[in-house]
Amino acid sequence: MTEKQGISLGEAQGGPWNRIRRTLARRTEGRALALLIIVVIVTAIMEPIAFTAYEVTLGSIALIGLVALGLTAVILMGELDLAVASTLALAGVVMASIDDLALGIVTALVVGLLIGVVNAFFVVVVGINSFIATLGMLFFLRGAAFVLSGEEPVRLSDIDAGIAFGKPLIGGLTPRMLLFILAFLALQVFVTRVRAGREFYAVGGNRQAAYDAGIPVRRRIFTGFMISGFVAALAGIINTLERTAADPTAGSTVLLASFAAAIIGGVLLTGGRGSVFGTLLGAASLGILQVALTLSGVQVDVQNIVIGSVLFIAVITDPNSLRSVLGSARSFFRGRSRASPT
Amino acid sequence: MTQEKPTAVAPNQPDHDLSAAGAAGEKDATSRNVRVLDWLSQRGIFVFTILLIVFAAIFINGFASLLNITDVFNRAAPIGIVAVGMTFVVITGNYLDLSVVAQVATAAVVLIAVSNESTIPAAMGLALLIAVVYGFVNGVAVGVFKANAVIVTLSTTFIGLGLLRWFTGGSIYFGPQDGVIRSFGLAKLGPFPLAMLVLIVVTLILSWVLNQTNFGFLVKSYGSNREATRLAGVNTAWVVIGAFGLSALGAMIGGFVLGAFSNTAVSAMSTGFDFRALAAIIVGGTSVFGGRGSVLRTLLGVVFVSVLTNIMVLSGLTFGVQQMVIGALIVAAVSVDALARKAATS
Repeated sequence: MTEKQGISLGEAQGGPWNRIRRTLARRTEGRALALLIIVVIVTAIMEPIAFTAYEVTLGSIALIGLVALGLTAVILMGELDLAVASTLALAGVVMASIDDLALGIVTALVVGLLIGVVNAFFVVVVGINSFIATLGMLFFLRGAAFVLSGEEPVRLSDIDAGIAFGKPLIGGLTPRMLLFILAFLALQVFVTRVRAGREFYAVGGNRQAAYDAGIPVRRRIFTGFMISGFVAALAGIINTLERTAADPTAGSTVLLASFAAAIIGGVLLTGGRGSVFGTLLGAASLGILQVALTLSGVQVDVQNIVIGSVLFIAVITDPNSLRSVLGSARSFFRGRSRASPT
Repeated sequence: MTQEKPTAVAPNQPDHDLSAAGAAGEKDATSRNVRVLDWLSQRGIFVFTILLIVFAAIFINGFASLLNITDVFNRAAPIGIVAVGMTFVVITGNYLDLSVVAQVATAAVVLIAVSNESTIPAAMGLALLIAVVYGFVNGVAVGVFKANAVIVTLSTTFIGLGLLRWFTGGSIYFGPQDGVIRSFGLAKLGPFPLAMLVLIVVTLILSWVLNQTNFGFLVKSYGSNREATRLAGVNTAWVVIGAFGLSALGAMIGGFVLGAFSNTAVSAMSTGFDFRALAAIIVGGTSVFGGRGSVLRTLLGVVFVSVLTNIMVLSGLTFGVQQMVIGALIVAAVSVDALARKAATS
């Protein structure tokens, strides 16, 4: 990415075309936008109800998007938090097993933050790759959610609060959507306007350079994992409130969809590039897709196939991947044409 | 430009490194630490396995019975075959192959369901075809597209399980009571089930592949330094595809053994194979950082994890607790490996 920017800066200067191309090259939301357009067009033709029943669609977008937002913070730094699904489930179970609603919510959020701290501890202090560390945590926390709940859904004691939570608050927007919008704005401001957030990009782009520039890399990684743990716990709380019960197996399709949303939104898995807005686009397309699939009476299995395929395509059409494929194809053909040297 | 970047905090940062402070004055202590940690991550498994078995034999009621030990072997065999195959993926530095869950269930269902309708060779042929597709898709995505293995195999797991459930409708398939599959599943050599023999044969073959063949050498070399291996003129894409292919073959044979043992097959039967196999590999001392590992020690890891699971089952602990313990085991074993590396480089 750096060499590309260098080249375009060098040859730039003239022409509006070049300026547009430069701006486009810096944006990372292209794939998410393409997916969104395709999904919107296909849905509009096949299942237009998905747009008339926009409350359902927005709710689905908010659920996927919330988890994806937390992931974005971590992926920007080139790490990954696979534990979000279990965090979501565990936070829900913790909240539901505490009788007092307010106390339950606070405890669940604290649990989310703590999980983030533990994840970051293994990544930063012990030095384990975040893919493996959070995978171990995924199994551990899933087990913990099972143990705490006795392997069956936990009913929320304060059901009225749950029902009230599902009602529109301001002009058709349920609290879930408002919270999602709030989280989106907060994260967007954080990574674009706040110094600590902007440093996420530096940490993800070149960690060594970030050190040398005096950025507290360790603290930033801790912040990132805490954001993702907190947001996942928030998603778990919202889920539990809306269903008035906490399911220890909650959110496997949501997990898949939120990974797909963050990755197709242009957040590079190696870190340093991506935008919160791209994640929003990704979440929007996957949310609409999921609602459209549900409306057309497709089973969960087929939904998993479709969303799994989107994730697969998202991860192999990553700009780095495409460049390496192009590179190997080029060297393959060059190797063929340049027959036997010397 | 290298594909990898320092994932953890760079070890050559004196002001950020924990072990550096101690390393300055006490060189002996550090090198002792290195040796202890290295021993723990590489050879510790021998001692731990023996200790665990001795512990279980003394304190756990019903562990040291012939019936129970046969049961441990029966359950260890499919997971073990999956784990020794997946070891290759871990050695290439691609973390793991999550999609074995889908692959094992698919192979078992295909074996039972297709052999009911047609012949056993036809069922095995179809399963082999599916395994080749899995290995190729995962391998190309990771090796050619340089995509992240965890995400790729996460998506292929969901696609694969979704397809399997879609085709089967979630139904359970039963093999005939007097069929060849059933008799294979029940066959024994003394106290050892035939499945155990399959595990040992597969392990020996794969150990030979890793240690004696050109391909095995390339897998290790790719795992320790991708860029250097590529610059040496190796077609690295085929190394990765081969590793995922071996993992898929292992998962297929594991699925056959699992299906034959239970003589039934359902899409949910392989739950937990991913983390049990990963735990076995990592406890066996194969490094998730790539380049270092052994198929034979994965076998020991399988024994360790199976005995541990058996102890937990005998003690009446739920699946949730088992997941917690094995998740913690994975994190702990990787931590030891990571700390050993850190201590060695400081």
